[in-house]
Amino acid sequence: MIKPLEPILTVSSPPHAHCGRTIKRYMFETLVALTPAIIMAIYAFELNAFRVLALAGAVAISTEAICNKIMKREQSIDDLNGLLIGLLFAFLLPASAPWWLVTIGAASSIIIGKIIFGGLGGNPLCAPLVGWAICRISWGEFMDTNTTMLMSNLPSPLQQLKYFGLESVQAIKSSSLIFGEQLGGLGEVQVMGLLAGGAFLLIRRHIRWEIPFGFMTGILITGWIYQMIDPTTYAPPLLHLLAGGGIFGAFFLSTDTASSPIGAIPSILFGLIAGSMVIIIRVYSIYPDGVPFAILLANLFTPLLDRIRQKPFGGPYKLSRQKTESAT
Amino acid sequence: MTKLNFSLNIGQTGPLVKGSDPDHLRIPIPCHTPILNEGDQVLTGTKIATANLDYSGDMHASMAGTIKDILPDSILIEVTGKTKVEAEEIPPQGGRILKEWLRNRGMNVKHFIKADTLIINAVPPEPGISVYEPLLRDYRKTLDLGLEAIKRIVEPYNMFLVAAKGNRANAFANCTVMHVAPIYPNGLIELIVKAVTGQEILHGAMPEEAVVLSVKDLFSLGRIMETGRPLTETIMTIGKQNHLVRIGTPVGFLAAKAGISVQPGDQLIMGGLMRGIAAVNLEQGVSKTTNGLQVIRNNDHLKSRDNPCLGCGECERHCPARIMPGMISRCSEFKYFNRAEDFHIHSCIECGICSYWCTAQRPLLQYIRLAKYELALLNEPNGPSLSVAEQTESRQTGEDE
Repeated sequence: MIKPLEPILTVSSPPHAHCGRTIKRYMFETLVALTPAIIMAIYAFELNAFRVLALAGAVAISTEAICNKIMKREQSIDDLNGLLIGLLFAFLLPASAPWWLVTIGAASSIIIGKIIFGGLGGNPLCAPLVGWAICRISWGEFMDTNTTMLMSNLPSPLQQLKYFGLESVQAIKSSSLIFGEQLGGLGEVQVMGLLAGGAFLLIRRHIRWEIPFGFMTGILITGWIYQMIDPTTYAPPLLHLLAGGGIFGAFFLSTDTASSPIGAIPSILFGLIAGSMVIIIRVYSIYPDGVPFAILLANLFTPLLDRIRQKPFGGPYKLSRQKTESAT
Repeated sequence: MTKLNFSLNIGQTGPLVKGSDPDHLRIPIPCHTPILNEGDQVLTGTKIATANLDYSGDMHASMAGTIKDILPDSILIEVTGKTKVEAEEIPPQGGRILKEWLRNRGMNVKHFIKADTLIINAVPPEPGISVYEPLLRDYRKTLDLGLEAIKRIVEPYNMFLVAAKGNRANAFANCTVMHVAPIYPNGLIELIVKAVTGQEILHGAMPEEAVVLSVKDLFSLGRIMETGRPLTETIMTIGKQNHLVRIGTPVGFLAAKAGISVQPGDQLIMGGLMRGIAAVNLEQGVSKTTNGLQVIRNNDHLKSRDNPCLGCGECERHCPARIMPGMISRCSEFKYFNRAEDFHIHSCIECGICSYWCTAQRPLLQYIRLAKYELALLNEPNGPSLSVAEQTESRQTGEDE
């Protein structure tokens, strides 16, 4: 038996310094960025908004805990990612959503959006949008504010635009949209709070400017093109940006880490694709708001876009190719 | 957690301090074969081990004494005095003969080839390592001797001295001074070569028609030429000061002399925080390439986790080699080493910046090195061999530079 030399030192591979970022802190700060919008949502839709947010968060966390238990994996709920997915999903729901819809949506966001692909970081699609798409396609009438929130006096610009044409939204002012005076997902319409949260994320460098910029530019340019084609049928671009989930998508959904590309040019292209898809879906499809579907579609482009990159340093070079060449 | 400022500006440093002499030495013999036996008497400068790689320098006793033990990775010498070996005649020829002579005297001669361009690297290799500064200021004569020797081998048409902007560096005769931004990793060989010639070389590869030598290499060379005796010293930044340290001095001895009390669980880093090697125990001796000593307290060091990669892309945004460390680490994690090649793993210059920025605290550089090592073994035509393993190891521990 060899006696170890005292004191016993810690050994590790370099580097021996770290910037101090952690997954938990990253998720926590994203949650902080959501807070202003949460407060505005509860102010606007009162207890109903709180009910949906709390339920979605709780279901998401417990679903993740149960999945980890079943799969005998290390418990991961304390990294706050489950809670974040739950809240992001809740942001897309109308405040009137029934409890079973919230439960199914939040659970499927976690299971089909995240866990099935191997958990955190493995998801090819933005997880909350997967849950949203399932609910939207299966129980469309419950997701639609037109049928569930008839009691509200607030306008719902995208629905009105879809079903009653451009004149019906002419009276809606941009400023009122910014302050969240519209119907839609309970959190996604709180434009002011989302802008504040987005600025916080940008300052903390958790997201970069490229994707939100590309996304908003995509909406504005495509919206502008349609308006040029026929100003009497198509809405002005600014309305498209501020109504529905435009801002929410730009700062929170399309910037999801695993499902978005990384380099500057791929990110801008990704944003542009998603942004222009938003308008195309809004104009041609049966769905009033196209943001979630647009981002899901753009997510599918991510692996392709990630291939647009600079030549690697001194390369490309492969040892295995070298070997086959020398063998022949 | 130890945060780091990547600035390579070092400001004023004091004169080179001559370290005190330990009572025993542990001369590291990575990729060397011992040639003496236990109980043999050695003088300062007696050859004790020959290099296995044909460019690596042989090892010499750095003080006189008795060989007490020969271990797989080091030779323990009990110091009894300072008597030196006889100074030798320096061969008047240049080229191959001088090169081989220097290799026998302990120099790593991998980069000593005939080339058009000679580059002297005076950019600090890492933040907090200021070993070049006192050499450039106070040891002009030694450096000139070293430069004269290397010129006889390289026979360059043009010479460059590369320095970090804001650091003082006086040129040598016929030498163009170039400045690079004083930010890590600009002092690494690959980026120095790129700054001067525009070529991009892979880690561990040789540039075409260019030779890079650090100021420290030049100094070592100058010492050999000056004394006619083998290389037995290295220069290390300990605290703010630079010390001339005998090779094989145990790190515990150096720490004690510097007034650092090492507690259980601390880390002693030989070199800088980005690329240095963590000492196994206080007895580990410093090697020729060790250029610093730092201590990281028990709770301050980076605790690597096996967290999943988030895909946040911080590694990729900061990578000077324009690759995707995150993806490569995933391939390496699950032993898809060949797939790591599709993500251009060989372009990695091993600066460690990816691991520094990793949100998930993944040991990215370690994953990359593992995959490189496995790939080198996998792709050897005659099957895995000791020499491939040793070469990769010497590249990864920095013994090569």
